Amino acid sequence: MTTAATRNDRRMYMIMNRDAGAAMYATAARRRTAVGAHIALTAATVGCWLGAVHGVSVWYAVAILALVAPWSVAMGVLNGATRGLLQLRGHMLDERQLVERDRVRAIAHRITLGLLFAGAAGVGLATWLGGVRFDGALLFPALFALLVTHWLLPSWVACLRVQDDAPDEVDEAPHGH
Amino acid sequence: MSEQVHNRLAVVRAERKVSRQALADALGVHYQTIGYIERGQYNPSLDLALKAARYFGLPVEALFSLEPFQPLTTEIYGDNGRKQ
Repeated sequence: MTTAATRNDRRMYMIMNRDAGAAMYATAARRRTAVGAHIALTAATVGCWLGAVHGVSVWYAVAILALVAPWSVAMGVLNGATRGLLQLRGHMLDERQLVERDRVRAIAHRITLGLLFAGAAGVGLATWLGGVRFDGALLFPALFALLVTHWLLPSWVACLRVQDDAPDEVDEAPHGH
Repeated sequence: MSEQVHNRLAVVRAERKVSRQALADALGVHYQTIGYIERGQYNPSLDLALKAARYFGLPVEALFSLEPFQPLTTEIYGDNGRKQ
């Protein structure tokens, strides 16, 4: 660590390294489930938010309020599994974590590129071959979905890349570094 | 492309009764990083490898190698050790 850790850095480090919910991300299957749940909750929240923005129904706003809590819990599970890989500042991570963060961002960037390419190709082909004319009203939802994907994809990738913690034969005590 | 670096960290750590957390604290890394190194899922930097060697008071080649390590008993007693 080259920069002195602030009080906030230390607090965030403690939060991200708590073992309170460790059972929720102890195995690869549980981490995959957590990522799947987070993707579903994100999609539902984005859908409801867009519905609320367009004033379709007041129930969309109510649904958002109901979704915020489970979404936050799922986000906490992802952050716990990755030990704050994407939330902590660089000087709070060690060399292996910094390498992993770079790798995660590179993978997420490639996936986003693929999604953008597929989207552009799909729209282009539908317009060219199918004569479909896209309404300008679709621009905002599409851009918003892209923004959310760009924001959260690294967290999903990072969580799926986490390896199981093998038990320490010397010290079986839980780690709360 | 990085080459697989073999290590004897888990064996030495167990022999010296040093927990992952204690070693991580001494080396200034996350305790999970010690596990990643022991399992060969991460090759430490030269800096970190030297720090680990200094911590155990061993030459760095006693902990890390580009070739797979022989069992300690084979290194001490040779192949004859197996027959005795």
